[in-house]
Formats: sequence, C-alpha cells, structure tokens
Amino acid sequence: MTAWYDSNIILIQSTFVGLLTALSLQVPIRFGVFSFAGVGCYGVGAYTTAIIVIRLGWPAPLAMGAGMLLAAVTGYLLALVLSRLGGLYLGMATIAFDLIVTVVVANGGELTGGPSGLFGAISDVGTVHVALTSLVVVVLLALSERGRFGRRVEAVREDPELAAAMGVEVRYYRQLAFVISALLGACAGGFNVLLRTTIAPTDIGFSLVTLALTMIIVGGSRSWAGAFIGAVIFTWLPSVLEFSGQFQKVIYGVIVALAAIWVPGGLIGVVTDAYRSWQRSRRAAGPGDAGPDDGDRRTASPRAEGTPA
Amino acid sequence: MTGEPMTGNRASGAPLLQVRDAAVHFGGVKAVDGLSIELTEGKIFGILGPNGSGKSTLLAAITRFVELTAGALLLDGEEYHTLPAARVARRGVARTFQTVRLLPGLTVEENIRLGADRAGGRGGADGVREAIERTGLNGLERHRPGELSYGVQRRVEIARAIVARPRLLLLDEPTAGMNQSERQEVSALMRELQKEGLTQLIVEHDVQMMVDTCDHLFAMNFGKLIAQGDPAGVVREPAVREAYLGKRWSQHV
Amino acid sequence: MLQDLINALSLGSIYLLFALGMSLVWGTIGILNFAHGAIFMFAAFASYVIVEQVRLPMLALIVIGALVGAALSVAVQVLAFQPILQRAKDLRSGEMQILIGGIGVAAIPLAVAEEETGSNPFGFSASSYATKTYVLLGFRITNTQILVVAAALLIAVAVIAWLRMSRSGLALRSLGVDPETASLMGVNRRVLGLGSMAVAGALAGFSGVMLTYHLGAITPDSGDTLLIKAFAAVILGGVGSMAGVVVGSYVLALAETIVLTQTSGLWVDAVSFGVILAVLLFKSEGLFGRKEVRRT
Repeated sequence: MTAWYDSNIILIQSTFVGLLTALSLQVPIRFGVFSFAGVGCYGVGAYTTAIIVIRLGWPAPLAMGAGMLLAAVTGYLLALVLSRLGGLYLGMATIAFDLIVTVVVANGGELTGGPSGLFGAISDVGTVHVALTSLVVVVLLALSERGRFGRRVEAVREDPELAAAMGVEVRYYRQLAFVISALLGACAGGFNVLLRTTIAPTDIGFSLVTLALTMIIVGGSRSWAGAFIGAVIFTWLPSVLEFSGQFQKVIYGVIVALAAIWVPGGLIGVVTDAYRSWQRSRRAAGPGDAGPDDGDRRTASPRAEGTPA
Repeated sequence: MTGEPMTGNRASGAPLLQVRDAAVHFGGVKAVDGLSIELTEGKIFGILGPNGSGKSTLLAAITRFVELTAGALLLDGEEYHTLPAARVARRGVARTFQTVRLLPGLTVEENIRLGADRAGGRGGADGVREAIERTGLNGLERHRPGELSYGVQRRVEIARAIVARPRLLLLDEPTAGMNQSERQEVSALMRELQKEGLTQLIVEHDVQMMVDTCDHLFAMNFGKLIAQGDPAGVVREPAVREAYLGKRWSQHV
Repeated sequence: MLQDLINALSLGSIYLLFALGMSLVWGTIGILNFAHGAIFMFAAFASYVIVEQVRLPMLALIVIGALVGAALSVAVQVLAFQPILQRAKDLRSGEMQILIGGIGVAAIPLAVAEEETGSNPFGFSASSYATKTYVLLGFRITNTQILVVAAALLIAVAVIAWLRMSRSGLALRSLGVDPETASLMGVNRRVLGLGSMAVAGALAGFSGVMLTYHLGAITPDSGDTLLIKAFAAVILGGVGSMAGVVVGSYVLALAETIVLTQTSGLWVDAVSFGVILAVLLFKSEGLFGRKEVRRT
C-alpha cells in the first residue's frame, strides 16, 4: 500500500489540486454564474504564495492565506464589475481576466520571474494538508447543496426572477459565487506551487481552463461530486493510457466538445437522471402509491426530464 | 398556518396596498396608464380585462418586477416602488405566475419549502405540511414538476405562495389549465384563506369564478381602470361588456 | 506619431477582418464561436505547411487560408454547434454549451499546430512574396500594410452593404433580431448559419495569413489572444453592429499602439481587457449596439 502511495504521490497530490481547481469552476456554474475567473485566481494564489514564501520567508499557511485573501478581493471586484453580464458575455470576460493574469505574471520582471516563472517555494506542505483541506471543502460544499441554502442557489441559477419573488437577493448570491470561486482557485494554486515548488506562466494559461472545464463537463457541473469524478479521471487517465503532450490536449478537446453536445450534465447528471427515473418507476408501480383525493386530477404518465448542466 | 397572518404596523384604516396614478410605459406602449386602486385588508379583489389590458403588467409592477414610469405604490401607507423585488417579497407580498415557474430539479415538497424560506423559514415543517394538505397535494411530495399535470403544478405554485403566511397574495391566472372541480377547489381555498385574514388579488379569465369568489372587482382596458365595485354589478356595466365580454358573457350571466 | 497611426491602421485592419466574421456570426445566428481564434491560426498554419513545400505567392496563400478557414468553420458548425443547439433545452443553456463546445474544439487545431511547430513561431519566409517598403512623405509603409488596409475596408464595406441591401442580408439580420419569427417567415436558419460561418471562417483565414505576413511570424497560441481582442472590439463597437466592429477594431488597435509606444510594450495584450472592463462599466451595449435586455 505504501509502495503504491509513494510511487504515485505526485498523482495523488495532483488529484486534490485538480479537485479544488475544478470546484472553482463548478461552484459558480452551480449558482448560474458562468465564470472562469477561478483559474485566473489560481494564478493569483500561486504567485502570491510563491512570492511571499520565497522573498518574505513567511510560513506556508500565512502565504496561502494572503494569496487567498488577495484572490477573494479580486473575485469580489470582478463580481461588481461584471454584475450586468450573463451567459457567454460573462464567460468571455472572465476568460479575458484569466489571460490577463497570464500576461501580468509573464511581464512581472523580477517579482514574478517573468516568462520562466519562480522556483524555490519550499515549505513542509504535503499530501496530508491538501487532502485534509479538500475534505473540509467538500464537506462544506456538500452541506451547501442541501437545505435552505441549496434550494435558494437552485432558484438563483434556474430562475433568478423567481428567486427574487421568493425573497432572495440574487445579487449577493452571485457575488458569493465569485468569491468562493476565487478562494477555491487560489487555494488550489497555492497548494500546487508549494507542492511543486515552482510556478510559471505556462502553468496557468488557457490549458488550465480547458483542463478544469474538461473535468467539470465530463464529471458533471451540478455537484461537487462531478468535480471529484472529473479530477480523478483526468489526473489518472494520461498515466493509465500513456498519453502525453499534444495528443493529450487533442483528446481533451474532443472529449469536451463531445460532452458539450451529448452529455451536458456530465456523468453525475447521467447518474442522477437514472436514479430519478428509477425512483419514478418505483412510485408509479408501487401499491402504496397514494394520490390526492381526486384521482382523475393526477397525470397518468411521467414525462421525461432532461437535466443538462 | 392557521391563525394570524403576518400583520404590519400601520395607521388603522389605511388600505393594505395602494396604487396611485401608476403608469408603466414600454417605449410607446402604455401598458398601464394612470391607474389607481386600493386594496383593503382581508378582502378578495379581482382584475378583469381582455388580453393586453395590462393586468399582468400591473401585477408585475406591484411586485416590483417592472419599473413604474410614473406614480406610486404604497404598502401600509409607505411608498415602496423604489425597493427591489426581493425586499417587497420579504415584506409578505407573495405571488403566483402566469406561466408555471417551478424548479424542475426539486421535488414538490422542496419547491414549496422554497416559499417557506422566504420568511426566514417561518412556517417550518408544519407550514409546509399544511400547505400541502390545503392544496390537495398529499402523496405527491416526492414527485418532480415534470411528472405532474399542468393543473397540479399550478397547485404547487399556490402552495408555495401561501406557505410563508403572506399578507398579500397575488394570483396571476391561477386556474388556467384546471378543470371545473379544480377551479372550485381553488375558489374554496381562497375563501378559507380570506377567513384567516389574507388579502388577495386575482387576475383571471374565468369570469364566473371571479364573480363568485371576489368581494370587489376592478375592470381594466388599455391600461386604464374602466370600472370597479361589486362583481355582479361590474360585469353588467356596458363599458366592461363592450371591452371584454362580447358574446361569450351571455352564457355566464 | 503619424508613423504609429499608420501602424495602428494596418493592425486595426487585421483585427477588423478577424472580428468582422466573429461579429457576423454572433450578431445574427447568435453563436459566439470560441474556436474562431484557433481557425484563424490553423488556416495560417496550413498555409505555412503548404508554402514550405511549394513556393507560392501571397495571393495563393490567402486563397488557401480562406478556404481552410471556411472549411474548418463549417465543420465546427455542422459537427458541434448545430447538434448542441438541437439538443439544448433553452437558449441560455444552449449558449453556454456552445461556448464550452467551442473551447473544446479550439484545443484540437492548437494541439496539432503546437505538435508540428514545437510551439515555435512559423512564418511565410518560403513564400515568393517580398515585402517592399515605400517611403511617403517621410513615413514608411509596406505593401503588405496597404493591402491589408485596403482589403479590410473594402470587405467591411461590402459586408455592411450586403447586410443592409440584399435579401439574404436582410434574412440574416432578421435572425439576429428574432430567430423564431424569422424562421416562420421562411428564413432558412440552417443554410444561413452555414453560410455565415463559412464567410466568417474565410475572413478569419484571410486575416490569419495577413497577420503572419504583417508580423513575419505567429505562434500557435496567437489565436487565443486575438480572440479576446476581437471580443473587445465587438463589445466596444456593440454586438450586432457591423459599423461598430469597424470602429471598435481601429480604436483598439490605436489604443494598443499608444500603449506599445508609451510603455515598454509588455502590457499591450492587457489593453483589450481594459477595453472590455471600461465598456462594461460605462456603456455595456457599446458604441453602436442594440440595448439588449439580458436577464441575469
């Protein structure tokens, strides 16, 4: 067991980092906020953490905390500025933000190490830390998918006007989505730079957006579980199938395109739909199936429902 | 849910809701054109009018989904037409929509709970239970909207609107898609709610139902108020018959 | 200063050719094609591959680029966007899926080009075209620049005129305003969609070849940054307005040229983001755009 762990430690760590990155995309999508800014905040978090550890020598938690705080502020400002946008406008604008972060760090001269990036961000952060943090995050997100908060988020995403009629301040929820996305992205970036000890502009560019997007699309954007499935699959798939380099990117691109066309709800979506269908057929067939008082008011046949992302 | 609805503080005698010279213009279209009405607490009001008369726009304006071009809205004597919709909803103004708006990913019970959430969860599990029973949705709690007939979906909307014990309930064509017995159930439910002190404003096409259910009727045409008063009297007024009823009315009287 | 203006003019013309296609598709059939940048780059790349084998003049490369661009664009529409739209449950989720699908598709040409070039710049040095520089009144201008500016303006005027005055142009515009009514009126969304994607792709290919000549070489990821710049130009001009795209492209090029000369030029790419932010903050429908009611 430990031999397997030791030989795969990089992949295990990458899975957790990938999970956090994917969540930084999944959470805002769940709120109906189509923002890719989490990836840009990954860069903000990674570089801030690295710079503080390398130049100021602060301990890792403080450095990461600073990175996350800076990202959260950025996320909030973005939320305010982009509040009027929706759908693809927002998507494009946040991708623009991500690319700008890349430009900024590539041109940051001494501070950010320019095109070659930074190295030597040494700390004693290990697998345990990133695993525990991921666990806490997942528990919090799982809780947030239930109950009052979960219902309201659902309303904010599906029908913001209805949400308002239900007394929900849609604005605040969307701002929250940006901030959570920023925190998650910065957390992922911070962990990654401390585990790998290096960061470069090429790590945070468009390929990261595509990777995170692939995880969400295939795993499913409705729930944290989709991000988890996506992270596991796409961290381990290359090593299992021995893809490398550009061919991998082609495969990922094809997968994203196919999933966008055929399976927009992702694997989680497929599973959820199947489960609900099974529940329905159980209800329709069961003897204890109670209807309301007047039988002819009920519908006869269940209608199929699709639940795309 | 039985018992006291949420009552606000206000000078006694002031109506619950006032619409003063309200205008809603969309460019050149005057959807609502200088309209004033008052809703006194505890009564059932109805709005009658042909398609395009501005009924739904008026409802949207009252619930702040549409901006007033001119005029004022008052709740408990206080102007509120600059407040955001969510705030007005939290003050106990509930509504149902012309097209059914349920969340497809939530069950019937969860959809209703969403309404309970509005009042900070007031009403709780009991409130939800009661709303389900009153709208005859027993046994359908775990169903999803996609599995239900249109009429049943509308009942879920109503349950969602009443679960948080609103002070004012606005119903936008609630019985569309329902059969006769369902309509009578809705009418009976409205009467029950009225006994508990709920003020209601209903927009409907079913004239008979309005005459039977409402205490006071408003008639609209081209965004203006053309008549108001006792329902039986309003529907006989020539202006109203001319605007709205035409030949079909003679079957209802 | 005037030299900078000339440079900005030619840069703006390249942006215009690229953004024109993007805006045409976006403002009419409502598709924001994220693969547009990859198509642009790959058309230039395909021309590069061919010119390395056969010494061709500029005109030939332009034709190749336009054809490759059109073909790729149509392929994306048929294989990805049309199926997505057919399956989408509503406009909003369909739009997002198109964006995602475009991002996915864009990775493919990018990866192929990167594999072949090793992420190094590629250019048309093997072409028989020779850049000549003219000196007019003390200012330098190359034949490439003249060609680009002339082509961009001519094509822009042609597209705008066609949209305004021809039947199919009117049909396309009606799709942009109200797709359902338009199709009820007999407008064939499918055919027009393919047609406009083909035109957009051809324009992208054309601009790809021109930019490569203009800069000497481009890299495989040039498409992505250009995409954001085109987005900025379209947003600045206003979605749905072709005149807006023209103005937006040149204003953006001018802003970038100013930044290039005033600073050390590292921040040029960031200008487009600043433009996007500024427009969204102050006048979100852009200079000439329709005021669109975008529900949250």
